[in-house]
Amino acid sequence: MILNGVEIRDSFAEAFPMVGTRLIITADTAKWAMIAAKTMTGFATSVIGCGCEAGVEREVPAAETPDGRPGVAVLIFAMDIKGLKSVVPNRIGQCVLTSPTSACFAGIEGGDAVSIGKALRYFGDGWQISKNVDDRRIWRVPVMEGEFVCDHETGSVTGVGGGNILILGTSRGEALAAAEAAVDAMDKVEGCILPFPGGIVRSGSKVGSKYKGMFASSNNAYCPTLRAQGPTQLPPEVASVMEIVIDGVSEKAVSDCTRAGIEAVVKLGRDKGVVAIDAGNYGGNLGPFHFKLREIMS
Amino acid sequence: MTGLVLAPRGTFEARVDLTGALPGDEGLAKLKIGYGGRRAELGELFEVSGTVDGRLTIEGGGAELDRVGAGLSAGEIVVKGDVGVGVGLRASGGTIVVKGSAGDFAASELSGGKVAIAGDVGARLGAAGDGSKRGMSGGVVVVGGSAGARAGERMRGGVILIDGDAAENAASDLIAGTLAIAGKLGRNAGRGMKRGTLFLRSAEGLASGFRDAGEHDLIMLRVLVRRSQELAAFLGEDAGKARRYAGDLNIGGKGEALIVIR
Repeated sequence: MILNGVEIRDSFAEAFPMVGTRLIITADTAKWAMIAAKTMTGFATSVIGCGCEAGVEREVPAAETPDGRPGVAVLIFAMDIKGLKSVVPNRIGQCVLTSPTSACFAGIEGGDAVSIGKALRYFGDGWQISKNVDDRRIWRVPVMEGEFVCDHETGSVTGVGGGNILILGTSRGEALAAAEAAVDAMDKVEGCILPFPGGIVRSGSKVGSKYKGMFASSNNAYCPTLRAQGPTQLPPEVASVMEIVIDGVSEKAVSDCTRAGIEAVVKLGRDKGVVAIDAGNYGGNLGPFHFKLREIMS
Repeated sequence: MTGLVLAPRGTFEARVDLTGALPGDEGLAKLKIGYGGRRAELGELFEVSGTVDGRLTIEGGGAELDRVGAGLSAGEIVVKGDVGVGVGLRASGGTIVVKGSAGDFAASELSGGKVAIAGDVGARLGAAGDGSKRGMSGGVVVVGGSAGARAGERMRGGVILIDGDAAENAASDLIAGTLAIAGKLGRNAGRGMKRGTLFLRSAEGLASGFRDAGEHDLIMLRVLVRRSQELAAFLGEDAGKARRYAGDLNIGGKGEALIVIR
């Protein structure tokens, strides 16, 4: 399949089930809501090294938040509910509770409950106050700035982690520009996050390594400088590859996000240095979700 | 009119205990209820009509009608008049609407659902019943008029809103929950209060163990008015700032009285 001069390879992204939740973080200003959200979702690019994958889903207008202040929705994914229950209160406690004027609310109903205030209330050292209204409990934890307000818990959902596209460009700059265009489009899809820096991975990995104890290592088949030293997936005109990893609350969300990214890259076309779009997989035997690029774009 | 309808056959000569007269009961006419010192079939005192659909309307009402909606867990009861003691006693769900006034122990030990009383209520609204340690633990109670003594006594959860005044000893020994009073307080409000929140218009009438903790911008208020229509109506949809009084400090309590600044 060739679209606007860009080859859509006959490949698929192989993705896995992950357990995730959404939180609504608010603050007096949109600036501080975003600072809390970005801090809270920092160092959460890959579950392999960070214990979770997290990112900003979208800004939430004040009229839609539980306290009527500007908000940011974040999504956090872990490999299982136990992991999620561990990372969520930890991250809120260190990054949201500490952030000026912030509050933190549940963004998903149903599923296994994940603690927010249920765990963080103890910071109040006995001075914490709960209010139970409309069958929902909130906690007020006195802090030096005033009060930190949060929901008792949030829900969870089984989502999809590890959707991805690879953008093969004729130069580093062109590959990055195409990836940035893709991220801009993909950010608009609700229910998804792109957990890597700026949404982009410049160091996609393969499973395993020649070194004992390494679970993942550089994906040498897509490394342009190694083209002459072994099997390669890169034609001669490709000088750089950028990957975008997608985690979503549903298969549809990841599929929609994948399509939005490919469409944005295709719009730039071969003239802007995009040679092909590919996807990372493990042969199809590891992950139950296969996002076939050509099917998505057909 | 739909649902079941109870119409009094005449004036009552003794107190009527309506425990068990609930909206989902098909055999309501045969239900044995207390009538003064004896048991009587409900159909002897009320003409029962309509069909079972989760609603029960009591035409007329009367201060002799005790324990209306006691133990209600679902459905709706509407009383077109006054009720006696114990309306909504230990109810856990559903809705009770009283278009007149209610006697003592209204919504006593309520754990869920909603009780709305258009007029005044007697003493011990939402309080613990005699011999019980704890009062109301959940649900919402809205009183359009004033409340008698000891409203919210030993309540430990839920929300009570009183549009009128509250007589002496409101919120005494209150354990937790929210009690909002739009009118004047009788003396000694909040005495022995352990936790929980009072929403007041003025601190006048608070027990001596309350201390002024200053004015604060409370995010919690913004959340409450967005999650509770009743609190939004009471506090104002733009509620944010309040003066906080902590108490009852005389017993080491960690409760509060908040006066929302409009």
